[in-house]
Amino acid sequence: MIPQSHFLILGAALFAIGLYGALTRRTAIGILMSIELILNAANINLITFNKFLGGPDGLGQVFALFVMAIAAASAVIGLVLVIAVYRNMKTIFTENMNIMKW
Amino acid sequence: MMNGLIRQLSDIVNNYGLPQDFVVQASFYVLAGLACAFAFGVVAMRNIFHCAVSLALCLFCIAGVYLFLNAEFLAVVQVIIYVGAIVTLFLFAIMLTSNIKDRSIRQANSQALVSAVVAAAILSFFIYIIMGNPWKIPASGTAAHAGPGLNDIGRALMSSYALPFEFISLILLAALVGAIVIGKVKK
Repeated sequence: MIPQSHFLILGAALFAIGLYGALTRRTAIGILMSIELILNAANINLITFNKFLGGPDGLGQVFALFVMAIAAASAVIGLVLVIAVYRNMKTIFTENMNIMKW
Repeated sequence: MMNGLIRQLSDIVNNYGLPQDFVVQASFYVLAGLACAFAFGVVAMRNIFHCAVSLALCLFCIAGVYLFLNAEFLAVVQVIIYVGAIVTLFLFAIMLTSNIKDRSIRQANSQALVSAVVAAAILSFFIYIIMGNPWKIPASGTAAHAGPGLNDIGRALMSSYALPFEFISLILLAALVGAIVIGKVKK
């Protein structure tokens, strides 16, 4: 069987890639996509621990479902904010969204 | 230990003389490698439309990885919610805002090198921790832990975790209303 550590390393790798993307992307949409990667890394870890350590009545999988719902909600709100900002400021780059900075 | 779908797949390949364990392990590592490669495409490609497509493929591979973790229901939900809904949403947002044909736009900001170093440091730290920890492996004889089925998940959602379930529905409702309010064009 595949050892537990390999699943965890896959989760860690996806997290690191998502972190890099969230730090370097100039567009807000790119940052949101990187955050989706990070949430998926967390989901992989939750399901891995649920399988190998065994939780009561599948707690890890239920929690992963909740994470998916939160991810969907955050993606919807984030993308609507991006569209609203684009409509008002005609930019999608985060460095130009500085009207709250002085 | 192995769930039905993976077992069927490996049974098919088994007829061609390959050992079952090898097929299962090889398909996992291929899926994991593809997931990492597509994830790298998400953060590294210049055209943001290609990034969204790469994100869809990466999430598809992660759904495949879920099959190895006895989470068939979550794999299906992953494909429906992420690939079906969220990536479609991303594609719509990209088409509504940016000029997707313009590939000359610089996608990374000036912190790229520092971010890469930080991400690599965190990744190596995680790998060091994970490899150094003697993970408790369930005894192979007694284990046979098939994992929660759809039945168990549904029962848990409606009994033990009914309160968080209701909170999630409230959050989704709030997100729905908020999206309409924010996205509405004000006259």
